[in-house]
Amino acid sequence: MTKQVIILTLNCLLLLSPPGLGQTRIDAIEQQRSEHQKQLAPEKNTSAEAFLLRLKDEKILERISYGYNGLRAKLGGLVTGGGFALGPEYFREDLARGSVLIRTGAQISFKNYQKADAQFTLPKLLGGKMFVDTRASHRNYPGIGYYGPGPDSSKSGRANYRLEDTALDSAVGISPSRFIKFGGAAGFLAVNVGPGTDDRYASAETLYTPTQAPGIDRQTNFFRYGGFGQFDWRDDPFGPKHGGNYLVQYTRFEDRDLRLHDFNLLDIDLRQHIGFFNRTRVITLRAHTQLTDSRGGQSVPFYLQPMLGGSDDLRGFRPFRFSGNNSLVLNAEYRWEIFSGCDGAIFVDGGKVFSRRGELNFRDLEASAGFGLRFNARNRRFIRMDFGFSHEGFQVWFKFNDLFQQRPLGTAGSQPIW
Amino acid sequence: MSRFILFMFLSSLSANAQALYPDDPVEFEPKPVSVTEVAKRKLSDYYDLVRNTLDTPGQLNRNASKPVRAQAVNTLGEPMQGAWWVKRHYYKPMTLDELVAGPGKDHPPAPQGSWTVVGAKNEGITPGFVILDGKNELYFIKFDPLSQPEMATGADQVAIRLVHALGYHVPENYLVEFSEETLVLGKDVTLADRLGRRRPMTRRDLTEILLKVPKNSHGRYRATASRAIPGTGIGPYRYHGTRRDDPNDFVPHEHRRDLRGFAIVSAWIGHDDSRAINTYDALVEENGAKFIRHYILDLGSTFGSGTQRPNSPRSGGEYLFGWKQSAVQLFSLGLAVPYWAKASFPNLPSIGRFEFARFDPERWVPEYPNPAFLNRLPDDEFWAARQIMSFGNEQIHAIVGSAQYSDPKAAEWLAQCLIQRRDKIGRAFYKKVLPIDKFEVRESQLVFEDLSEKADFGAAGPYTIQWFQFDQKTGATTPLPGATGSLLPAQSGPYLVAKIESGSRPNQRVDVTLRLGISSSPTVVGVDRLW
Repeated sequence: MTKQVIILTLNCLLLLSPPGLGQTRIDAIEQQRSEHQKQLAPEKNTSAEAFLLRLKDEKILERISYGYNGLRAKLGGLVTGGGFALGPEYFREDLARGSVLIRTGAQISFKNYQKADAQFTLPKLLGGKMFVDTRASHRNYPGIGYYGPGPDSSKSGRANYRLEDTALDSAVGISPSRFIKFGGAAGFLAVNVGPGTDDRYASAETLYTPTQAPGIDRQTNFFRYGGFGQFDWRDDPFGPKHGGNYLVQYTRFEDRDLRLHDFNLLDIDLRQHIGFFNRTRVITLRAHTQLTDSRGGQSVPFYLQPMLGGSDDLRGFRPFRFSGNNSLVLNAEYRWEIFSGCDGAIFVDGGKVFSRRGELNFRDLEASAGFGLRFNARNRRFIRMDFGFSHEGFQVWFKFNDLFQQRPLGTAGSQPIW
Repeated sequence: MSRFILFMFLSSLSANAQALYPDDPVEFEPKPVSVTEVAKRKLSDYYDLVRNTLDTPGQLNRNASKPVRAQAVNTLGEPMQGAWWVKRHYYKPMTLDELVAGPGKDHPPAPQGSWTVVGAKNEGITPGFVILDGKNELYFIKFDPLSQPEMATGADQVAIRLVHALGYHVPENYLVEFSEETLVLGKDVTLADRLGRRRPMTRRDLTEILLKVPKNSHGRYRATASRAIPGTGIGPYRYHGTRRDDPNDFVPHEHRRDLRGFAIVSAWIGHDDSRAINTYDALVEENGAKFIRHYILDLGSTFGSGTQRPNSPRSGGEYLFGWKQSAVQLFSLGLAVPYWAKASFPNLPSIGRFEFARFDPERWVPEYPNPAFLNRLPDDEFWAARQIMSFGNEQIHAIVGSAQYSDPKAAEWLAQCLIQRRDKIGRAFYKKVLPIDKFEVRESQLVFEDLSEKADFGAAGPYTIQWFQFDQKTGATTPLPGATGSLLPAQSGPYLVAKIESGSRPNQRVDVTLRLGISSSPTVVGVDRLW
């Protein structure tokens, strides 16, 4: 009984004590609250957060990217080795609710490489079953590297030449399913080659004869036409991790002026992506061959010969290191996810140029190997760095595009220098 | 004894905190201080990502010499019911109907009449509408991506019911089907293009938006209709710190048990998108006071759904970026294959990437570090785990049924995953503290449930109980010689503590504090889990 009285007394004392002095839990909480109230202040984002919010809400990056009514600055986009390029571009893909794409631009680099081009595409004809793609370009590249013909050319034989060309091409394609495209294309190509302006190297015509480098002495123009077929079942064309893309293109070049350089070009590009461990690791295999065929004393001009070397094929060699009538390149690349947004890559490249189609085999391949990093956002790769090694040294590539970027379908992409 | 009473009296006048107050345990948050000035704010998702990835916002236990136990809880270790959380299924089992009804079943968009589109979003891959139904109620309409019909809408229906039954505030989301004819374009509705430029919206815009979303076999559109949350939206809350203009928000969020425990809930439902941007604060007025109620939002990105596409297999396995794991991957050349990369997922477009075999509740992480999740301690985990374990198989199947998947295999797989993941959660977190709960005094004996035994995971006992006298002012305990076992000792003070231990788990203990009433039976007023 005594115990119960004590408890009752105690509880009464606790409950009857003046409020606000911490006699109850509620009081204690209220006290904490009142302490907090003394520190109340308006909610305000930090300047960094406010900046990022503004960037997103006002779509500042999109506006910069889109430009003013489609008019924007374009960085880069010239041939490898052309230097940093800048120029205006007008780009609209929102016209007629996305059924018309127009792009035109001009860039010039600090090395005075120049390019002006235009594109008019109807990508969604017949409910997306048909497309028309028309392109025109003028390029003036004053110092393209050239090492002489064939697989035995020497690294020390580097020369340079001016490549100036103007092209107009149009392709019409059918896409009966989302995997298949086929069609035909035709175009005109006017070419002017001349002495290179890179005074570190000899000009090509001083080192190589017209026999070695057909077309180095006389200019001509081409009519070109052909067909193409593509079976593309990649899971995501912008960042494939699984599936394949198989492309065959045939282009007939007809020399309209000199009648010396008629030839056929067969381009077969097979790519397979094998994803494993939930596609966090991918092996990409590529086999690409370009075979030319010229008969009756005709020859393939050196500037239209298949070329190897550079960031997209033999990555341990300089750009355009090898050129010949035919080429074969094999690439194997293993990519793995380092973190979300960055993949590591290890690669091996093998390839060769050769004069006769009978040499289309895996013998005497030039080899390179290396490693790299690929940065992506939403599975779209936007920067890659590759370090390629070969017996000729090593090359570092820093590119704002994905590996093995596909050229436009049809004749517009049939030149080796793109 | 008189000196003791005098001491207690004097102590009661002191403003200092004490171990137990007479009104403990407090069940509900005290009446809120009315909010007078509060600013609507937006948070940057990029900033949140970068800051939480590269910085350590909030007061993190990993940086503290002594971990901070969960706050905003009563002496039983339960969050006080109120603006953040309320007791639901675990505490008072909900019926199947209640579970399936979820946060609401009485306010779906009126099926009769037209829905007036008053806003629309056509950017990106996931378009959406804002509509007023025939009763002038506002709803946000969200769709599935074209390639994954039923994925986001189904995930949202299931997740919203589970999270609601677990006590969190969520919006009323309804699964709806409608035809294009149901939609009527409102007056002066504008649409922003990808550069944010607004122009009047046309009927053609509406049709084009619908072209981006899947139709079902009846030619109708399936969507989530999220009823506008009552009150005024003032933006999301963060998982750290407090809202500086909210007088009621004085416990740093990283120390809130309800938010720490939400880590385990998120692991269960695969809510890797559990970040500030997917929360919502609403200023509401009830009983004459304006206060902020805190909601969990956007649960369409759960169960392997990434809303716009299936989630990355990385989801839940690793952060988007982490120094250590990135270094491991970089230098191992990817040969150190993370455990989550080996998971296998069935080909079920309506589910996305969700599984249970590789699921590890202790290793599960959201997309990037969440301070409240990082701060969780074994008692926080147990608090959430026992709630999750309270869902029976039949209940899970019933809740999954609310998603109305057209493929029965999808429903079966999701239910199976939830059941298996639930059990993994129970096994993992019932091991870290003594898995006993539901303490009460019955016929002068302290009784409790062994939740591990109840779940067929095996009993953690046998348990030993040692009784102590308890000084509620100082928290000091004094052993009562010879007082052991479940029977309450005869001679004792106003408060008793039962220290419950198990020989099989030497480092774990639960202290249960009882208040001895005069006319009423002894009451459990404190539960403290030690490990």
